[in-house]
Formats: sequence, structure tokens, C-alpha cells
Amino acid sequence: MTLLLALMLAAGSAQKHDWLGTELPLPLTVRTPQDLEFKSAAERQYLIFNLLASGKLAWDQGDYAAAASHWESLLQVPGLDADLDRVVRPFAEQARAKAGGKTSEAAPPPPAATREETAAAPRPQRKRESAAATVEGVVSGGGAAGPGGAVITLKRTDGPMPALQPSKKVVLQQGKAFVPRVLAVPAGSAVVFRNEDAINHNVFSLSPHFDTGLYGKGGEKEETFDKPGVVQLLCNIHSSMIGYVVVVDTPYYAQADGSGAFSIKGVTPGEYEVEAWHESASQPTRQKLTVPREGAKLALTVAGDKQPPAFPPDKYGKPRQTQLGY
Amino acid sequence: MMLATLALLLAQEVSGSGQDGYTPPADAQPPLRILGYVDLGWARAQGNGTSFAPGDTRIPADYGVDTFAPAVNSRGDVASTDSQGVFTNGFLPHSVGIGGHPSFLINTVDLDVRYVSPSAPLMLFTRAQLLPRFSSAGDQTSLLVEQAFARVIPFSSQEFALTVGKSDSVFGIEYLENEANLRTGVTPSLIARYTTGQGLGAKAFYRQQIAPLWSALSLNVAASNGGTLVDTLSPQSASQTGTPVFSGRLGYELNLPSVEVKLGFSAMDGPRNDQSQPGVRQKALGADARLVFSIVELRAEGIHLKQDEGAGDKINGLGTHTVVSGFEVWGGYAQLALGFDLGSARRISFYGRYERRHAQFEGFTAITVDRITGGARIDLLENLAVKGEYLKNRELEGAPQVDNDVLTSSLIYSW
Repeated sequence: MTLLLALMLAAGSAQKHDWLGTELPLPLTVRTPQDLEFKSAAERQYLIFNLLASGKLAWDQGDYAAAASHWESLLQVPGLDADLDRVVRPFAEQARAKAGGKTSEAAPPPPAATREETAAAPRPQRKRESAAATVEGVVSGGGAAGPGGAVITLKRTDGPMPALQPSKKVVLQQGKAFVPRVLAVPAGSAVVFRNEDAINHNVFSLSPHFDTGLYGKGGEKEETFDKPGVVQLLCNIHSSMIGYVVVVDTPYYAQADGSGAFSIKGVTPGEYEVEAWHESASQPTRQKLTVPREGAKLALTVAGDKQPPAFPPDKYGKPRQTQLGY
Repeated sequence: MMLATLALLLAQEVSGSGQDGYTPPADAQPPLRILGYVDLGWARAQGNGTSFAPGDTRIPADYGVDTFAPAVNSRGDVASTDSQGVFTNGFLPHSVGIGGHPSFLINTVDLDVRYVSPSAPLMLFTRAQLLPRFSSAGDQTSLLVEQAFARVIPFSSQEFALTVGKSDSVFGIEYLENEANLRTGVTPSLIARYTTGQGLGAKAFYRQQIAPLWSALSLNVAASNGGTLVDTLSPQSASQTGTPVFSGRLGYELNLPSVEVKLGFSAMDGPRNDQSQPGVRQKALGADARLVFSIVELRAEGIHLKQDEGAGDKINGLGTHTVVSGFEVWGGYAQLALGFDLGSARRISFYGRYERRHAQFEGFTAITVDRITGGARIDLLENLAVKGEYLKNRELEGAPQVDNDVLTSSLIYSW
């Protein structure tokens, strides 16, 4: 990337380039969670390239404010390669200086996670980033099923939180099961249900009510989840299929892995209410937490007093007997 | 769009890593699960709790009335079968022995043990039921093993299940909700006695989805030591002939997003297993239909059953009986239910059922009865339901008019 930037800058401003466009998301097919991961990685690289190159084109066209804006945005990309940061930062500062310290009209708004902080007490970007803490911990309990899949949320009680950033996730119907079985998403997110089995499936929930209808192998149905809460996923054809979409109303959330470990990064220091939901717990676990700048560690226990429904309802609410096999 | 993606990346940074869900390993769920319910009831039957009319001296008494009509619970137990000393011949249901007295009941304490192998597509299932009875006039307290079977689903890509052991009937649809916690109403239909018996044997289920038509065809077949009649009418624990009875149901399903239609045709053929000669046959044909849309569920089922006249004694769940007449019955019901979701797993359903039964023991008077049932079911919690219903029984032809209506209710707690 550094070499690429050097070559671009070396090419000077003698030549005008047609810009290829910045449209995202990329038209990459997503069939599995791995596909989605791949697509996210590709889009990240594409975004980095676009911010890098569009800044250069703006520089070449003498629009230093736009160049500064693009490169400053680039410097905000999480986990940016240190070499790239080192190369771009001087150019960004130079562009900002040439622009007379003005922000371009096309400049991006500050990212949601920083808006409240900036409004309260403007401070340099790097200091803001270093103020974000990590909350990590371990969940125990969950009965015989173990703590895996617990959804941990943090809700700030002494100040505002960053806006939610809805996303799009994939849940497969695979081997007559929902994969993943438990998925946490921010409110407003979309979930694509993709049937990977050779047999027809259906996805429905009684509360909130939705029903995808019946669809076959390779078919996809998309549902948007706007209301926070736990959505129990069932299949009207196969009574043994059960899954959960946990719709959260905070940007600070994580799911425990099989050992119960979890980590929530980028948490603004402050006072929080912690909640841990688990499918085997009749009530979520709640506690208070103070998050200092250096982060916090949590040990949570979820109950194991609840089992999956003995007689899962069909989409009209009538109970079904799973032992019948149909 | 690019900027939106940047914002998304930043948001992912603050919201932690690994947000693509969690799928437990196959052995995470405990393989053994114990389920069950307790069904408590209160019931009051008119008259003396039977369908026997005072002064009716015809014999056998149970051949001239519908003894199953004054049912008080989900098992089809009636308030009483006391014929006041008039001879009966083994065509009787179980009885809770409360007569015409309003009474509280412990109808059923059910215990299901389910083992799902974490490493093989195998399930073992046992359903045992304790039936505490406190009246000396009715059945005694008993413990039943209603079901005990192994089920294998050999192909994960197919809807094909094999079951061996004592299990539900495959005839019609009423067996699907033949437990108090599953049934919309309190009592079974007038034809449940012919369709919901459990048998010992093997059965197979196969369903083929027809995706472009939103449809499926299914076939459910069984070979068992008895027919599909309930235990008082047919000894389920042992075949008198050693020859299996075959039964099956061919089903069609239409699963549209807002409408569900299910149709089925059932048949049963085999030796009349209260007899010891394989040549004495019993045959049944049935049809069923279900239509569900919005808050409405309509279900209907009909049956025609014919049993040959036997040569020797009749041996069924009530004992040995001397008269072995041929028997033929036509019957059916239609039930309309309206269900309303009240939120937080609460739900209320109102239902009405009309049913009619025409039956005749060869050489005896044909009788025709009907029944109008209305009631409500309220699911107070995910595991707590209360139901109440009124059964208006009417003798239309061949049987004397008798006061045998029933007001009954049920409170079911499941675990």
C-alpha cells in the first residue's frame, strides 16, 4: 500500500485520471458466513484504496480540502496499517494546511462513535481513540448447554452512547438447524436466512410476528429487526429447529464463545448497566459496571433454569410434538 | 456509500469482535430430557353421568347408546359407565366415576423421557402416565406406559423417519394433539375412540416437498399388533392373532405464507384383534382436512369403520365378552377455532365443534347421536393453560333421549 501511494504521488499532477467510482457494497455473492467475512475484508481493502486514491485525485485537482478530508477519513479506519498511517499522515496534514484548515464540503461527518464526545469536549483525534476502553470477561453457567452464545450488552447510564450501526448478517438453515443458533444484531439490522438444505424450510417467529413462507435449497429470505428483544426462530415444517436473533439497542455488545469468553472494544469510559442474556436462562443477568479508561474485566453468571420449548409451536401458535419427527 | 461503509467499520470496532453468532457443538445440548404435564380438572355431568337412560332395559346396554358421549377429560374418560346392573358387552370407555356430582379431578400426570443421541440420528422416547382415581365407582388408579419407542432419521437430507416400539397411531389427525396440553379443547371427538389408539409395532414416515408448488406429499404407514382403536376396545399389549394390522395416511400439504391447507386420507386393514381368527377382519377408511389462515383454524375428520362378526369370545381392554357382533360406524367432526395472541406467550382460543356418529352392532338397533361443543382455551403462560367447555350431547335416532350434557374444565401445567 505504501508503495502504491508513493507511485501515485510520484506520478504528479500532470495527468488527469477518470475516477472508477466508490460504490459499496461490492457485488460479491454471499452464501455463507465465510463469504460474508470475505466480502467484509474485501470491502475494507476497497475502502482503504478508495480513500487513498480519491485523496490523491483531489490533491491533483487542487482540491486540498477534499484531499485532506479523504485522507483524514482513511486515518480513522480501525486497525489501519501503521506504515500506511505513517506515510499518509504527513500528506493529510499538508493537504489540511494547503486548504487553510478548512473542512471540505464533501468531508465525511465524524463517525457515530465519536460524535457525542466531540460535542462535549473537542479534542485531537488520537486522544479520542485512546480513550476507548475494552471490556472483556467470562460468562459461566447456562446449565448443561454451557455459557456459549450468551449475549452481553452494555448500556451507558451516565451519558449518551454512539448511534447504533445496523448491519446485515446471515443465518443458514443447515442440517435441519439454524446456523448460527444464536445471533446478536443491533436494532435495525437485516438478517438473511439462507436454506442450505436439500429440503424446504420456513422461518417464522410468533413475537414479533414474521413468516418467510416456504422456500427451497439456495433460497434466501431477508427480515429486518427493528425492535430490541429476543426473537425465537422456528421452522413451520421441522419442529426441532430453533434459533434466536437477539436484537440489541446498544452498540456495545458481544457474544460469548464456547468457553464463555467475550470482549467489547471501543467502549467509552463511564457508568454502564450490563445485561447478559442466555437461551437457558429464564431471566437475564444484570449488574452495574464502571468502565475506566484502562478497560474493565467482568465475570458474569447466567442461569441454566430454562430449556428449549418442550412442544414448539407452529406458526399459528399450536404446540407440536418433536418426537414424532415431522 | 463509501462513507457509510466507513461508519460501519468504525461501528464494528466499537461493538466488539466476533459478532457472527454462536452455534453450539452437537453435543452441547443435554441428550436426556424429562418433560411432562399435570392435568387437573373440574367437571359436572348431567343425570348420573352416563348415557344410559333410566328404564332402558335393552341388552347389551352399551350397544344401544353412546357410552363415550359424556366425556370429561382429554383422555375421553366419562363421568360414569354405571349401567345400573344392566348387562354390558365391552363397548365402554374409561370412567372417572363421578356420576352426576361436580368433582375435581387429577386427570393425568404425564412424564415423558426423551433421549436424543448426540452422535447418531436416534431418539428414544417413553411416555408414562399416572392416572390417580379417587372414586370407587370408576376406574382404579393406574400407571400406563403409553409410548415407548426408538426413532431413527437415517438421512439428514430427507424427511424420512422410522419408528419401532409402542407409539401413536398414524390414522387421521386427532392423535397429533391427543394430550391435554396439546389439545385445543378439553375432550376428544366422538370418533377418537377409533383413531387414536397406540399400537406396538413399526412405522415409517416420508415426506416429499414440492417447492415450486409450496406443497408436500407425505406417507405415514404402520404395522402394529392392533388397530387404531383405543385400549378399552382393543387390547394393545398383545395381538390375539399374531398377524399385524396395517394402517396408513397419505397427506398433502399446501404451505402458503398466509394460508395452510392439509388434507389426508387414511386406511386401516387387518385382523380384528379382539378375535383370535385372522380371517375376522376390521377395515377403516378416513379423510381429514385442516385449513389455517390468520386467526382461524378449521379442522374436520371423518371415518368409516367396519368389523366382521367374530366366532369366539371378544377379548379387549375391558376383559372377555361373549357377544361378538359385526360392527359398522360412520362418524366425523368439524371444529372451528379462533386464536388470539395476547403477547408474552399468552393466547386465547375460542372453539366450537360439531360431530355426528352413526353406529350399529349387527342385529341391534342403529343409533345416531351428535354433539355440539363450545369452549375456550387460555394459555396464561408458556407452560400453563386453562380450558373450559360445554358438551351438548343429543340422541337423534335409535337411542333414548337422556340428560348427558357435560360442563368440564382443565388446568394444565407443563414442564
